[in-house]
Amino acid sequence: MAKDFIYLDYAASTPTDPRVTGRMQECRKSAFANPSSNHVAGRISRATIERAAQQLAALLNVDPDTLIWTSGATESDNLGIAGAARFRSHRGKHLVTLLTEHKAVTDVFRMLEKQGFEVTWLKPDDDGRLQPATFARALREDTQLASVMHVNNETGVMQDIEAIGSICREHDVLFHVDAAQAVGKVPIDLQALPVDLLSLTAHKFYGPKGIGALYIADRPGCRVEPILFGGGQQQRIRPGTLPAELIAGLGLAAEIAEARIEADLGHLYKLRRRLWAGIRDVDGILVNGEVESGFPGILNVSVSDVEGESLLLELEPICVATGSACNSKSQEPSYVLRALGRSDLLAQSAIRFSMGRPTTGNEVDYAARRYREAVARLRDLAPAAAL
Amino acid sequence: MSGDPYSALVRDLFADTAHAGDLPGGVTADIDAQGVRVRLSATQDEGRIKALRFRAWGCPHLIAACEHLCSRYEGRPRESLSEFRAADIMRDLSVPVEKTGRILVLEDALRSLGRRFGGGSAP
Repeated sequence: MAKDFIYLDYAASTPTDPRVTGRMQECRKSAFANPSSNHVAGRISRATIERAAQQLAALLNVDPDTLIWTSGATESDNLGIAGAARFRSHRGKHLVTLLTEHKAVTDVFRMLEKQGFEVTWLKPDDDGRLQPATFARALREDTQLASVMHVNNETGVMQDIEAIGSICREHDVLFHVDAAQAVGKVPIDLQALPVDLLSLTAHKFYGPKGIGALYIADRPGCRVEPILFGGGQQQRIRPGTLPAELIAGLGLAAEIAEARIEADLGHLYKLRRRLWAGIRDVDGILVNGEVESGFPGILNVSVSDVEGESLLLELEPICVATGSACNSKSQEPSYVLRALGRSDLLAQSAIRFSMGRPTTGNEVDYAARRYREAVARLRDLAPAAAL
Repeated sequence: MSGDPYSALVRDLFADTAHAGDLPGGVTADIDAQGVRVRLSATQDEGRIKALRFRAWGCPHLIAACEHLCSRYEGRPRESLSEFRAADIMRDLSVPVEKTGRILVLEDALRSLGRRFGGGSAP
């Protein structure tokens, strides 16, 4: 069947790699048994999971025993942040995070605020980056946990995880990283990076949806309280029957990513430059984030005098994301872009192009042409009175 | 398409805005409210609306509603402008209720246009 759309929304989700799909189909037959069972079928499922843990561990350069399987990054963020904050609450109730984190992080901090924790919300610079010195100034004697995302899901801005993590280590603050947009896309060496907790999900790097993991460093004081209850699986940190088929898919996706991560990055750098070259002369265009640095799979742009929802429809059949909540019930501008200093109107006009492994130069050229045409048409439709 | 926020009619009207533009020398009404902007221009001939054009800055439902309205009112008696009801066009185009304010802006623009015709200033 011919494709009836151009997909440039890889930051939202990626298609499952056919090899991963094949592996999961095999496991559907061979590893269906409950991996907690001690019979031979259960042992096959357990072995399948252990192999996947080794594959993911190799990608991150960690011990497989430091990985806890979850349903995805949202659950990993919840478990890592709420679990660690509660475990260490006797040491203090001050937490630090960024205004531009994903909702899966910010909503957990909001919940913790209601439970008596105090949160310092840091605002990044206008380019989206958090200065390590700004972060350091936010720490207090009673700070016990900080969370900063690696790659921002809207802008692609990458934070200096190494510098921020080092500050955390100096102050004995646990450091959680939401790496949903980073794992499998940019090299991550957790032996070298001072990170205590790291969240990831498979479907962002060509694995299946519904499976993710939380890395918990094997070091003193780095523990989490469970947020789910009902069994003894995974050291009681995250109970529940493990889906061997999904975990196997994640494992193979990690192995594939490890093998081609540099090639993928090179491909994305070329595509982003090509896309930007195609639209940079549009009058009033503004990059949300950075063009040359940051994760190359994302280019987020706003443009003056154009309404975002109409721009999105005019761009069809190109699948991109907008700077609004993107449903008919809410046109609230992106809080991430507002935190970067964008006006409501500029934030609403934002389009996030996100490219992936299958993206071609022709697709990018087509998107650039359609973007220019769409902006021109909507401006032509608008009353002459300036905003 | 399941879950499509736009009806087929809205998509068609948004894609083909034959009535977009201005009518130099015509009567105009501009409204800037509810986060949208609408300009209607009209000319009349012997008490009937000869031509009706729009410009709009807003969501696809608003732009589709402008096109729908212009195509429906051309050729009708100018008094009919006061008969416009936002509820009718919201029903015709399946506009979500949360966008009612934007369609009411269009209603205000049309009534403003009618008043200007009624004031005798129309060409």
